[in-house]
Amino acid sequence: MPSARPLRLVAAPHLHGGSAVPQWMLHTVIALLPVTLLAVVLFGLAALATIVVAVLACLLAERACAPRSRLDDGSAMLTGLLLGLSLPPALPLWMVAVGAFIAIGVGKHLFGGLGGPVFHPALVGRVFLQAAFPTAMAQAWVAPLASGRVSELPATSLALPLLSPAAPYEAMSGATPLTALKAGEGSAALADLWLGLVAGSVGETSAVLLLLGGLYLAFKRVIDWRIPTALLGTVAVLSAILHGLDAERHPGMLTALASGGLMLGAWFFATDPGLSPMTRRGAWIYGLAIGALVVLMRQFSGHAEGVVYALLLGSALTPHIDRWTRPRPLPEGVER
Amino acid sequence: MIGQRPAFPGGIKLAMPPRVDADTVVRQMPFAPLLRLPLKQHAGAAPVAVVRAGDEVLRGQLLARAEADTAVPLHAPASGRVLGIGKQSDGAGGTVGVIELAPLPGDTQEPTRGRAFDPDRDDADELLAAIRETGIVGLGGQGEPTHLRLARARQRGTRFLVINGIEGEPGFARVPALLARHGADVLIGARCLGKVLGLRQPVLALEEPDAAAARAMLAESSDRTLPILEVLPPRYPQGAAELLLRTLAGRGIEGCPAFSADQAVVFSLATVAEIGRLLRHGLTMTDQLITLAGDGLREAGNYRVPLGTPVGFALAQAGALAELDRVLVGGPMRGRALGSLDRPMVKGATGFVALAGNQQARLPEAMACIRCGDCVAACPLQLHPAEMGLLARRGEVQAMVDHWHLERCFECGCCAYVCPSHIPLVQMFASAKGQWRRAQASAAEGAA
Repeated sequence: MPSARPLRLVAAPHLHGGSAVPQWMLHTVIALLPVTLLAVVLFGLAALATIVVAVLACLLAERACAPRSRLDDGSAMLTGLLLGLSLPPALPLWMVAVGAFIAIGVGKHLFGGLGGPVFHPALVGRVFLQAAFPTAMAQAWVAPLASGRVSELPATSLALPLLSPAAPYEAMSGATPLTALKAGEGSAALADLWLGLVAGSVGETSAVLLLLGGLYLAFKRVIDWRIPTALLGTVAVLSAILHGLDAERHPGMLTALASGGLMLGAWFFATDPGLSPMTRRGAWIYGLAIGALVVLMRQFSGHAEGVVYALLLGSALTPHIDRWTRPRPLPEGVER
Repeated sequence: MIGQRPAFPGGIKLAMPPRVDADTVVRQMPFAPLLRLPLKQHAGAAPVAVVRAGDEVLRGQLLARAEADTAVPLHAPASGRVLGIGKQSDGAGGTVGVIELAPLPGDTQEPTRGRAFDPDRDDADELLAAIRETGIVGLGGQGEPTHLRLARARQRGTRFLVINGIEGEPGFARVPALLARHGADVLIGARCLGKVLGLRQPVLALEEPDAAAARAMLAESSDRTLPILEVLPPRYPQGAAELLLRTLAGRGIEGCPAFSADQAVVFSLATVAEIGRLLRHGLTMTDQLITLAGDGLREAGNYRVPLGTPVGFALAQAGALAELDRVLVGGPMRGRALGSLDRPMVKGATGFVALAGNQQARLPEAMACIRCGDCVAACPLQLHPAEMGLLARRGEVQAMVDHWHLERCFECGCCAYVCPSHIPLVQMFASAKGQWRRAQASAAEGAA
């Protein structure tokens, strides 16, 4: 019974579980949609423009850096979305684009492209902007639900490169809850913090929506639930202890969990499969380390927010954690 | 449930088709016009042919005598005429003899019968010799002569005889057929093996889907020393003997909390059933029960297939479609794709899969490793497929062996199954192992 066409010589296994990197990227984008929509509602055109420019610039940078790479794997789009969500809404759009090119060009392709990066490309982009344009990054916050947010872009968004800063946007807010806290100006209402009705980066404000998106990813097994669990658990415990010791200086556990980029970082940045340790034990250590670093930097450094640097340091630890938690092969010596 | 935790890490949950009544059906495969019988069908030495071209033989008659200790005899799968003894490649650079046998059309094909054995009457040495004389080898896919494993276990001293009733591959259904049709054979086979090993009560290990059938089989028997049933939650590759022993040793067996894995010996359910069937009727091994599976077959199912039947003939009898995409020896997780369907079925085959497939439906292209670690979590031996994959890509075979235990990998396929980048990890490891073995061999030659 010779087959009418040559038989295909394919190596085993002939089944596949169905998980695929492009699907992971897609699920992550889906998980980020609610918070993205909320950002547009809260911060208006400024947020929309920031996200669109970040995504488009990342795709363009990907094409430029690796002409033959596949845009349809979704990774450049996701980097762009994450970068856009982590920036202040009224940041000049040309800076957003520069950040995107640094993210993809330096953060990703200088490290060998997909699978190569040692640090999260979007964070590399953000940190570059932080270092290069500290004033703009510190002042481009927008108060939520400001009037006129859907009809016009803030003047700062449209500022041209290397010119003196435009006139301050009227709805511009000089402070996020964390910077206010650091300056001793008291805390935002807890409910506003959790719902996201505060000034902050485009996509970091609503802890509730980020939490839901993160749970979706954990449920879909795109991310390892151990990482956010260890990370947020550590932040919760340490904040509670510090608050107990000195309630004046240190915010309470719920405030600490809901403020700044913690939720975005814990669920969407720290869990990047390529940057987090490969073993389950490693995931616990990694989450714990980042959580401790977040509290340490927020409470005992000159910065108001510490998530970005904690994440970067965490991914620098990953190769070491991988080495410490190397799986030990099952002992030999059982008769087969 | 205490003790339900498996004693090996990793593994995967495979979607197994539910058991149906048709799984218990076994159809008889007719004789192909020409049966080709390689002398070496198992691990160890090949037997020596005792027939010549032109000889007429009866079904079950000796074709090749086992001279070396590690050989088993080969018997005629059909009454017919020996056309000749040819040569074929043994796959390792040498050649091996092949007896070509043309079954006589119209013959009754009644098997020749020798002395029947009874585990209650015959002593252990007689039974061990009789098992070897049937020509049986391990039917779980390992192909090791059964008498060798028995003799080793006897010498070592074992406390448990484990009958491995775990199907292993999705789509295969030998276990339900054996439980439903060969209950008596299984029990007698188990008693024969128990007698050889000096053990009273065997352990029958299976996965949940087959538990009801096993209970029904045990309920029908009035045997005093029925096997202890150990039902495990389904998990791949739990059926691999080493992992099964670890699991049982870790969770303990009824009446014995925990034991060391090397205190037990494993035989597959198919082997045990066949030993029982052959010994109690005084038969020799002339055929075996295999599953023919896959969407390329209109009549997929269990078949009793004469040894030496060409794979193509067997598939045609099972209603193979005219266009097949690939044919696998073994199941979809570990099966090797065949380039030609002329090869004969040899002892120890568990089944074949014929996939209709779609020429267009290709696997997604492999992407770069993103170091997600899913393969590390899936590896049942806790090796490090990701690190080995990166090394394999750079051709660093020695490092794979030295630091990551490449040689332990038994190619279960879990890592490639879960890889989100579709990296052909198993294929890379298999070829690295081949390279390493060749390097070892040439180093040994150089030293000699």
